Amino acid sequence: MSEAFSDTNTNTLQLEIFPSRLLKPETAQELLGGIAEIEGIIRLFIHGPRIPQTVPYGPATGEPVQHPGNKVIEVAGQAIELAVYVGSIRMEVADTDVKRQVREVCGSILSIPFEFREGNFIPRKQTVSDYAKRGPGADPMMIGMTDPKGKLKHYPVCVLRSDNNEE
Amino acid sequence: MAYEPQYYPGATSVAENRRKHMSGKVEKLRDISDDDLTLILGHRAPGSDYPSTHPPLTEMGEPECSIRELVEPTPGAKAGDRVRYVQFVDSMYNAPSTPYFRSYAAAINFRGVDPGTLSGRQVVEARERDMEELAKFQIETEMTCPALAGLRGATVHGHSLRLPEDGVMFDMLDRVRKEGDSIIMHKDQVGRPIDKKVNLGKAMSADEAAKRTTIYRADNIAFRDDAEVLEWVHRVFKQRTIYGFKPEATEL
Repeated sequence: MSEAFSDTNTNTLQLEIFPSRLLKPETAQELLGGIAEIEGIIRLFIHGPRIPQTVPYGPATGEPVQHPGNKVIEVAGQAIELAVYVGSIRMEVADTDVKRQVREVCGSILSIPFEFREGNFIPRKQTVSDYAKRGPGADPMMIGMTDPKGKLKHYPVCVLRSDNNEE
Repeated sequence: MAYEPQYYPGATSVAENRRKHMSGKVEKLRDISDDDLTLILGHRAPGSDYPSTHPPLTEMGEPECSIRELVEPTPGAKAGDRVRYVQFVDSMYNAPSTPYFRSYAAAINFRGVDPGTLSGRQVVEARERDMEELAKFQIETEMTCPALAGLRGATVHGHSLRLPEDGVMFDMLDRVRKEGDSIIMHKDQVGRPIDKKVNLGKAMSADEAAKRTTIYRADNIAFRDDAEVLEWVHRVFKQRTIYGFKPEATEL
């Protein structure tokens, strides 16, 4: 394994915001917008049940779905197409001060109860599959940030603050 | 004295609701017209005749058979209807019914039905007009909350997910939406758009759903709160285990 993937980000914290209900795109946009304003968010992804563009199987296969959850939201000036109904948000942050700020943003925006926890939610080291997919020179920031079964070209990772993330 | 089935043990509201569903003595909460029902089932055009797979039994000349003389055919079988299905999905968040109790309700109270029970969905196959009678009964009564349960012929995903913010069970095909206080179905059960929106009525409030549910939940009425149910479940498990191992030791 490349040295680039070992012992990096070990001082960072990983958080999960787990609301008691699935979030509407409007609430998700507001919450993500609030989080994006905090300095010290390293990487973040949203997790939830996928919303298909067309009916995947059954007699109506191929019919357009037009789900109200499938919207384009704007976070920190960047348009993001929601392909899932937002169930949880997992992120990596720099330190406990950022964690406290994220907790405050959640408390002020979410009107429903939510769980807020620290743990390991995003892989910190690349797996054999990552190595096979991206090779030895892959960007360590991208580990665990894409759907392992998805095509990278279809589900790109949005870089909101390219200046801060370029190292 | 005539025998009265007891259906289910227990003293809690969940046990009482389970008895109601099994006996068919459920409260009617809403009306749905025959045309609306046909639309959301999606098997034929509203107002059209029932397509048939064979001529009516009276015209067919059935063979001499004591069982056929004994058992009255259902209206659908008499007319030679096709076999069609209705499939329900019930949320784990205090939906009024569950696949098992929908199946009990169908098998105990309706004739000529073939209920199929799965973890997250329940399907009933029957002759078309018999199936419609059952579907109408289950949709119009307290067995269904339009927000916490739904007709889903295909793509049933959603019963075990957290509810969305509006309280309507997640449906990736978006068949059901909340408009004002009412729950509207604008696609049929497999996800094809239909000509008009069908009003399924108001959703149950969280308190009402908790009162009418047949689901034991730790945050409502826990299974272990019902001593009589627990006793009978223990008895059934013990008896069947011992019977399989050493039948002569079974206590009756």
